[in-house]
Amino acid sequence: MAAPKIIVVGGGLAGLASVIKIAEAGGTVDLFSIVPVKRSHSVCAQGGINAAKDLKGEGDTTWKHFDDTIYGGDFLANQTPVKAMCEAAPGIIDLLDRMGVPFNRTAEGLLDFRRFGGTLYQRTAFAGATTGQQLLYALDEQVRRYEAEGKVKKYEGWEFLSAVLDSNGVSRGICAMNLRSMELKTFASDAVIICTGGNGAIFGKSTNSVVCTGSAQSALYQQGAFYANGEFIQVHPTCIPGEDKLRLMSESARGEGGRVWVPRTAGDKRVAKSIPEADRWYFLEEWYPKYGNLVPRDVATRAIHKVVYEHGLGIDGQPMVYLDLTHIDKATLNRKLEGILEIYEKFVGDDPREVPMKIFPGMHYTMGGLWVDYNQMTNIPGIFAAGEAEYQYHGANRLGANSLMSCIYGGFQAGPNALAYAKSLTAAPGDGGAAHELARQHEINERLMKSSGTENPFKIWRELGEEMTKNVTVIRYNNRIAETDNKIVDLLGRFKNINLSDKSQWANTSFAFTRQLYNMLQISRVVAQGAALRDESRGAHYKPDFPERNDEKFLKTTKATFAPDADEPRFEFEAVDTSLITPRPRKY
Amino acid sequence: MAEKTIQIEIKRQSSPDAAATWEKFELPWKPGMNVISAMMEIASNPVNAAGNETTPVAYDSNCLEEICGSCAMVINGKARMACSALIDKLEQPIRVQPLTKFPVVRDLAVDRSVLFENLKAVKAWVPVDGTYALGAGPRIFPQQQEVAYPLSNCISCTICMEVCPQFNDATGFVGAATIAQVKLFNAHPSGKVLKEERLRALAGDGGVQECGFAQNCVQACPKQLPLTEAISDVTRDVILQQVKDFLTV
Amino acid sequence: MATATQPAGSDRKLAGGVEPLRAGKGSSFLWRKLHSLSGVVPIGAFLLEHILSNFEALKGPAAYGAQVKFLNSLPLVRVLEIGLIFIPLAFHALYGVYIAMRGKGNVIYYPWAGNWMYMTQRWTGYVAFAYIIQHVIRQRFMGVSLPEHPGAAFAKVQMELSNPLMLAVYAVAMLAVCWHFSYGIWLFAAKWGITPGERARKRFGYVCLALGIGLAAMGLASLYAFVGPDYKNAPADVAPATSSLAVPSIETYAYVV
Repeated sequence: MAAPKIIVVGGGLAGLASVIKIAEAGGTVDLFSIVPVKRSHSVCAQGGINAAKDLKGEGDTTWKHFDDTIYGGDFLANQTPVKAMCEAAPGIIDLLDRMGVPFNRTAEGLLDFRRFGGTLYQRTAFAGATTGQQLLYALDEQVRRYEAEGKVKKYEGWEFLSAVLDSNGVSRGICAMNLRSMELKTFASDAVIICTGGNGAIFGKSTNSVVCTGSAQSALYQQGAFYANGEFIQVHPTCIPGEDKLRLMSESARGEGGRVWVPRTAGDKRVAKSIPEADRWYFLEEWYPKYGNLVPRDVATRAIHKVVYEHGLGIDGQPMVYLDLTHIDKATLNRKLEGILEIYEKFVGDDPREVPMKIFPGMHYTMGGLWVDYNQMTNIPGIFAAGEAEYQYHGANRLGANSLMSCIYGGFQAGPNALAYAKSLTAAPGDGGAAHELARQHEINERLMKSSGTENPFKIWRELGEEMTKNVTVIRYNNRIAETDNKIVDLLGRFKNINLSDKSQWANTSFAFTRQLYNMLQISRVVAQGAALRDESRGAHYKPDFPERNDEKFLKTTKATFAPDADEPRFEFEAVDTSLITPRPRKY
Repeated sequence: MAEKTIQIEIKRQSSPDAAATWEKFELPWKPGMNVISAMMEIASNPVNAAGNETTPVAYDSNCLEEICGSCAMVINGKARMACSALIDKLEQPIRVQPLTKFPVVRDLAVDRSVLFENLKAVKAWVPVDGTYALGAGPRIFPQQQEVAYPLSNCISCTICMEVCPQFNDATGFVGAATIAQVKLFNAHPSGKVLKEERLRALAGDGGVQECGFAQNCVQACPKQLPLTEAISDVTRDVILQQVKDFLTV
Repeated sequence: MATATQPAGSDRKLAGGVEPLRAGKGSSFLWRKLHSLSGVVPIGAFLLEHILSNFEALKGPAAYGAQVKFLNSLPLVRVLEIGLIFIPLAFHALYGVYIAMRGKGNVIYYPWAGNWMYMTQRWTGYVAFAYIIQHVIRQRFMGVSLPEHPGAAFAKVQMELSNPLMLAVYAVAMLAVCWHFSYGIWLFAAKWGITPGERARKRFGYVCLALGIGLAAMGLASLYAFVGPDYKNAPADVAPATSSLAVPSIETYAYVV
C-alpha cells in the first residue's frame, strides 16, 4: 500500500504543526488554505505562549499550569487532554526555540518569561509583541522546507467545501473550490485534519481575520459532525473599535502594567492626562485587589461593561474606557510592547505612550468548535480537528497565551493520530462518495449562480453580526437570544432570495463569501441556541438571570448535531472528564 | 444638509487577460474609515458613481492589522497596506490600483507567489533535526535577539519589491525581503549551517548584485525592516563566499 | 475514481511577473561586481590622475605639456592605456548602459532622496558616456597626436574650449563625472558591505560629498585655465617644462593603484 495520504485544511499554527508531524513521519500531505499559509490568522496573536518551564525561580510546575487552565476554563474542559498539553508545553517551547523563533531573552541567553492573565506565575514566553507571527513563521519555514523536499503539496487559494464521505459515513477526502478558477474538485485522502480556526465573522466585527468565518466547521456540522460548546465565545476586554474590524490591544498591555480606569464623574470633559489621580477610578484594582488589572478576560470584560452601562462612566458617554500606559517609561514600552503600540498609533492616530488608549471589549476567540475525542478525531471517522476549530482545551474560557500552545499541541496530536488511523484504514467502497459529493457541490454552486433575488449577502452578514454581538456576547438573556435565533431563521429565509451581483467564473470573491455566509448562519444558530440552553453562568458565558455556575445540571459539554429535515440544530450533553481536579468555585 | 461622502477610483480588471478600466465610486463617509472599509461599503452596495450596478471589488485581505501582509496595493500612487490607509489622511479622489510588478488575478488581487519561491530558493529556514524532544535550543543573547527580531517581522507584503526600480521582468531581482531573511537565518546559531548554500544561491542571476541601492525598500517597508543594512551585510558575505569559493573550491 | 489525481489550479502560473531567483546560476554576479569595482579601480583612479594632471594647466602651457610628456613616458604606457583605461572604461560604460536600461525608474511615484540618487547615477552615467566618446575621439585620435607632441596639449584643449558650446559641454560633463564618481564610491561602500549601518553610510556620504565637490572644483578650475585671461592664445607647441618632473609622484601612485 502506498504511503498514507493526509489532507490538512488550514495553514495556521495547528495546520502547519500537523503537517510537520506527518511529513516527518513519512506521510504525504496536501495542505489546503484559502490564503497563502503565511497569512493565516495565527499571525495576529500578540502576547505569548504558555509553558511552565519555571525559569524564574517561582516553583512553577506543569500541574499548576494545568490547574490554572482548568480553573480558568471554569472546569468545563476535559481534564485528561489539558493535562497532557500542559505537560508537553515546555518541550514545545524548546522545539520552537530550536526552530529559530526570536523569543525574548534573559541576559544569560535563556528564554525570558512574563506573567499573563489568570496565573500568578511568569509562564509566558514571548517574541516582542508579535509572538503568533513569529511562531507561525517558524512552522511555515519548516513546512516550506518539506515542500521543497516534495513531501508537502500546498493548495493555497483553495477553499474546503465539504468532506467526501463513503456509504459508511467514513471520510475519503474533501471537496474544494479553487478561488481563482472557481473550479470544484474532490481530493482523495485517508484522513482529513480540519484546522480552520474560529468563527469571529458570525459576530460581524471581531478581532478575527477575514477568513475566520467558521464555514468549514459549519459545513462538517451540517454533514453530521458534532459541534461542541458553541456558546462559549471569548470577548477580549481590550479592543480598539474600528470601522472595518475590532483591533486587539494585547493583554500584555495590562501584563506590563497597563491600568484600566475611567473618570470618576460622568461626562468629565478634561483631557485624560490632565485628570488628577483622585478623580480617576481604577475599578479593576479596586474590585479585584489580588489580580488587579490582570484579572481573566471575562472578569475584565464584564467589569468594563458594568462601569460603562450600569455606572454610566464610559468616556464621553461612549462605550470606551482608558487603558493607560503613560506612567511607564518609554524605553520599557518600546522594548516590550512596541508592536502593539504601533498598531494603536497607526489605526487610531494617537500615541499611547503619551495619551491613554481608548478600548472596549470585542469578540475574540471561539472556545467551542468541532467535537473531538482524545485522539483529536471528530465523530466522523477519518476527520480530525485541531486548533481553534475544535473545542477541547479551553473549557468555558481560555487563558491568555494558551491558544498558541493548544494550536501547536493539538496539531502535534492530530498529525500522528491521523497517520495511524490512515494506516489501518481499509479501502473505500466504490469511489468513496466522491462523485456524489462533487455533484452535490456543483448543484449548490449552480443554484447560487442562478439566483436572481434582491438580498445583498454583505448586508445579511452585517445584520447577523450586529444581532449576534448585541445579544450573544458578554451578557445573555434568554428572551433576547430567542429573538436572535428567530432573526437568524429570518436571515436564512432571506438568503434564499440572495442577489449575487457578480456572476463571473473567475476569482469571484463575493460568490465564495456568499457560500460562507450560509454556513455562518447555520453555525450561528448553534451558538445562540447553545447559549439559550445553558441556564447558568460559567466562564465567558454569563446570564444575569442565572448568575451562578450550576455543576449539577451544566458541568457538561454541549454537543450540537444538525437535523437536516428540520434544518436546525439538536442538542445533547456529555459529562465532562473531571478525573484529576475536583471542581471548585472560580473566584479571582 | 447633504451627507458627507468620499470619492474613490478603483482600477478594475475582470481577469488576467482583460483590459483594465478605472471605476469611480462615491461612498458615505464614516469616522475612522480606511480603504478596506471603503471596499466593504462597495460590496454591500455595489453601485458606482454613475449610478450603475457593478460587482464588488476583488482584493486580498485578511487580518486588517498590517501583520498578515495581504492587502498591499497602490493607493494614490504609492504601494502600501490598505488596512492602515486611513481615508481621512488621503487626498481625494483616492486612486486605488493593484501592485504593478505582479500578475493581476482580478481587480486589486495579484499573485505574489514569487516571494515564496524565492524563500525556498535561499532555504529560509532553520534545518532542525526533528520535532521530537531534543532539549533546549542554543543560547541566544538579547543583543542577538534584537538583531534577529526586526528581520523576523517581515510580513511578505512585497511592497519592498514593488517599489524597487530593479525588481522587474528584465532583472528578475530577488528583492529585499528575501535578502533580509538570508541575513536572519545566517545569523541563527543553527540556521547558519546553511549559510554557504544561501550565499551561493544569492550570487545567482537575480541575486544581491541586482540591487541598485535606491533605498526605496527601506523607505516603503510598513514594518520598518532594516533592509538596506541587510542587503549591505549579505552582499559582503556573498562576495567573500565567492572569493573563498574561487580560491578554494 | 472520479477524484483528481492531477493537482491543478495552484500549479497554474499566471502569465507575466518577475521570475524567481536563479539560485547559484549564471554569471551576472561576477559581471556586476566587476562593473562596480572597475568604477573605483582603475577608472576612478584614472579619473583622479586625469583631474590632477589637468590641474597642471593652471601653471601654464609649459607645465601642462610637461605633465603630458611625463605620462607618456611611463613604461608600457600604451599597454597601460589600453588595459587600464580603454578596456575598463568601455566595459564600465557599456555594461553600465545595460544595467541602466534594465532598471525601471519610479522616482515620480517615490520621490525619495535615495531614489533620486539612483536615477541621477544613471543620468550622469549617460552624460559621461556620451561625453567621453567625443572627448576620446576628438582629443586622443583626432588632430595633433599628443603622445608625439606633448607640448601641443594646451593649445589643442584651448582650441576646443574656445567654442562656448564645447566649454559648456566640458563643464556639464565635469560635474556629471565627478557626481557619478563620488556617489559611485559611496555606492561601492554601501553595496560591498563596507558601510552597512545607516549612520556609517551617512558619515561616509559626507566624505564622498567633499570628494565630489573637491574634484569638481579642481576640474572647473582647470577649464578656467584654458579659457581665462592668463594663457590666452597659447603657442601651438611649446617645449615642455622640465621643472615639474618631480611633481607627479601622486599621479604615479594613482596609476599603480
